[in-house]
Amino acid sequence: MHKRFDVRSLTLGIILLAPMPVWAAGDPDVDPPLAELGAVPVPADNPITPDKVELGRLLFFDTKLSGDASVSCSQCHDPKQGWATNEPICRGYPGAVTWRNCPTAINSGHLDRLFRHGAAGSLEEQAVTAATGSVEGSGDLLVMEQRLWQTPEYVERFRKVFGTDKPRIEDAWRAIAAFERAVLSGIRTPLDEYLAGDASALSDQAVRGMGLFLGKANCIECHNGPLLTDQKNYNLGVPRPPEFAEFGVNTVTFRFMLATNDVPEEYYRSFKDDPGVYLVTREIGDAGKFRTAPLRYLLDTAPYMHAGQFYTLEEVVDFYDKGGGENEFTQRFGNKTPILRPLGLSASERADLVRFLEEISGDGVQMVTPIVPSYQTGDQHDD
Amino acid sequence: MRRSLQLSLLIALLLQGVALADSPAELGRRLFYDIRLSGDGTRSCADCHDPEQGFSKQFDAGGALQRLSVGYTGSRYFRNAPTLINSHNKQGDEPVLWGWDGRMRGTLTDAIALHLESPRIMNMDPLLLRERMKQDVRYVELCQVLFDDECRHKYTVQSLAAFIATLNTLETPFDSRAPSLSEKRGKILFEGKAGCSGCHSGPLFSDQRPHNTGVPENPEVFSDPQRHLSYRSMLVEAGIDNADEWYRDIGYFAVSGNVEDLGKFVTPTLRELRYTAPYMHNGVFESLAEVIDFYDSGSDVLQALGLSSQEKLDLIAFLESLSSVDPVAVQIDKVSPDYLPMEDWLDRPN
Repeated sequence: MHKRFDVRSLTLGIILLAPMPVWAAGDPDVDPPLAELGAVPVPADNPITPDKVELGRLLFFDTKLSGDASVSCSQCHDPKQGWATNEPICRGYPGAVTWRNCPTAINSGHLDRLFRHGAAGSLEEQAVTAATGSVEGSGDLLVMEQRLWQTPEYVERFRKVFGTDKPRIEDAWRAIAAFERAVLSGIRTPLDEYLAGDASALSDQAVRGMGLFLGKANCIECHNGPLLTDQKNYNLGVPRPPEFAEFGVNTVTFRFMLATNDVPEEYYRSFKDDPGVYLVTREIGDAGKFRTAPLRYLLDTAPYMHAGQFYTLEEVVDFYDKGGGENEFTQRFGNKTPILRPLGLSASERADLVRFLEEISGDGVQMVTPIVPSYQTGDQHDD
Repeated sequence: MRRSLQLSLLIALLLQGVALADSPAELGRRLFYDIRLSGDGTRSCADCHDPEQGFSKQFDAGGALQRLSVGYTGSRYFRNAPTLINSHNKQGDEPVLWGWDGRMRGTLTDAIALHLESPRIMNMDPLLLRERMKQDVRYVELCQVLFDDECRHKYTVQSLAAFIATLNTLETPFDSRAPSLSEKRGKILFEGKAGCSGCHSGPLFSDQRPHNTGVPENPEVFSDPQRHLSYRSMLVEAGIDNADEWYRDIGYFAVSGNVEDLGKFVTPTLRELRYTAPYMHNGVFESLAEVIDFYDSGSDVLQALGLSSQEKLDLIAFLESLSSVDPVAVQIDKVSPDYLPMEDWLDRPN
């Protein structure tokens, strides 16, 4: 590891490295190598067109798509905060709070499932779920649809894109998803340049960090492939976010999320932490599991983990170096992933890893907040 | 009828004097003032059914006449906020119609639940409200004392109904003293020449059925984009086709789907009119004089009455005698919208 990786032999190197670590005994699969980010997959029933993308961009920033017309997608997926928010737990709807950290919308089009517990199978489904969730957008579908009807520019744009006389709310989610695929996905970083053969794309320290990532630190076990995630679910023993107990409004949301997901009485009464993937699968062994996070774009999206438990990448690396942690579910159901073991990283090794993660973030995607279309007032109507 | 009303007035008077400590009505009173009963924490029941304005809304915060209710933030409402006083007495034999167009049916408790959940009124998820109450020490205590249970949504709506049931017309000139000559003449007109009692019948002066009297539209419903879209969303929810083609308030038609019900609205009570201007389902009339002038002139569906000026004054005198001498008042509650942490939360069941 004293000299730079030869890029051409990198893939081969990864194949040799990946199955080697002894601590991966419980998971004998060959991990996919790190790879360049490919083209974003586009569902056959929602093709990307320039007009649809522009409509989706406007809708993404438009507060009309919420209950009291005060919250847009961009409030929680803020371009100025890495298309996420830099608060541990996302604020969500006025009068409430959510119970998770907002994931970035960048490269979200490459993920098979959305939300940290994988509740949505598409960006379209993610959009409607977030816009109508009582602590997120709290929007009513009929009211939101009528807001679009009341907006002449939207009526015209929806007609042009979807061929409808009046906007249909389900088409709003399609347009937003198209925007997220076309503009916010496929965002390349220096990692892609490096993997494409530009050895100067990463610093020496970052390359050393990558060696650790692939080897001693074994991050590649889960953070693999082009998105640096296997999109599988694990309980790492990330601690319960302190907010659940310390702030009444968070406690309210915590219980509400259990109740609205209709968890059995026993667990509604006893859980004090976010059961994650359990809410989707109803397999109790999945309690406390979350999907492996993609690692592109980390620099702009602190804090980290599903509820922003760690403020810095150094804290994250320290957590893994210690072999992860324990939480309610690891203790109750014994489901901490066996992949995590103490790593014995030196201070300089931890710094190298952090440097690698920072450099593969790339430049932030900047966007000026568009001025969204206004309502038509009654004296403009034509009868 | 008179007798039973007087009895209920007596009970109401007694209730006014007795502290409502630890009663469902007391829990309901606190809920009534609590902005956490709206989805985004911006509205309480009292914002549209203002205890200082006849449990309806006469003026906005700036003192301007409020013809149309404010409704939920971002979805301004398209009808006038009716008074809650005496509304619990609406519970009768037939399915009671709630809302000006009667689209809410059932008991007062049912109507309250529908108001809370409506995206145009409170936009409140019942499960979220339950969890909000479970986080409030006073609600937890009251639910325990009153229901021997933790807070549940059914207690929320029952308690609000219990509070609203305490809102009764108090002593009125009509019920408690001999009428003046003018009031007496007004009553004769009311029951005779003016034909009011055909619909405004019974102790509440309402038959509680929908009728079309040809009240003019309030153009603000259609010129204010938020009110208009809110109105249309209600029509779509009611299953009305071509909701965007209606530039009039279709009223009970949205409920029945029968064309003959176009423009019908449930007859309002005439009690407490002194405290509940402006009038009609859309607040188009600012004063009782305007209302009487409207009926006197007739409309598309009503014949003109040909009332003299004195007859109009007599009718107004009679109508005003149906209101409480002093406004119905309740203790104002300031409820903190803050949520406090629970010290021992980690150590006890949710």
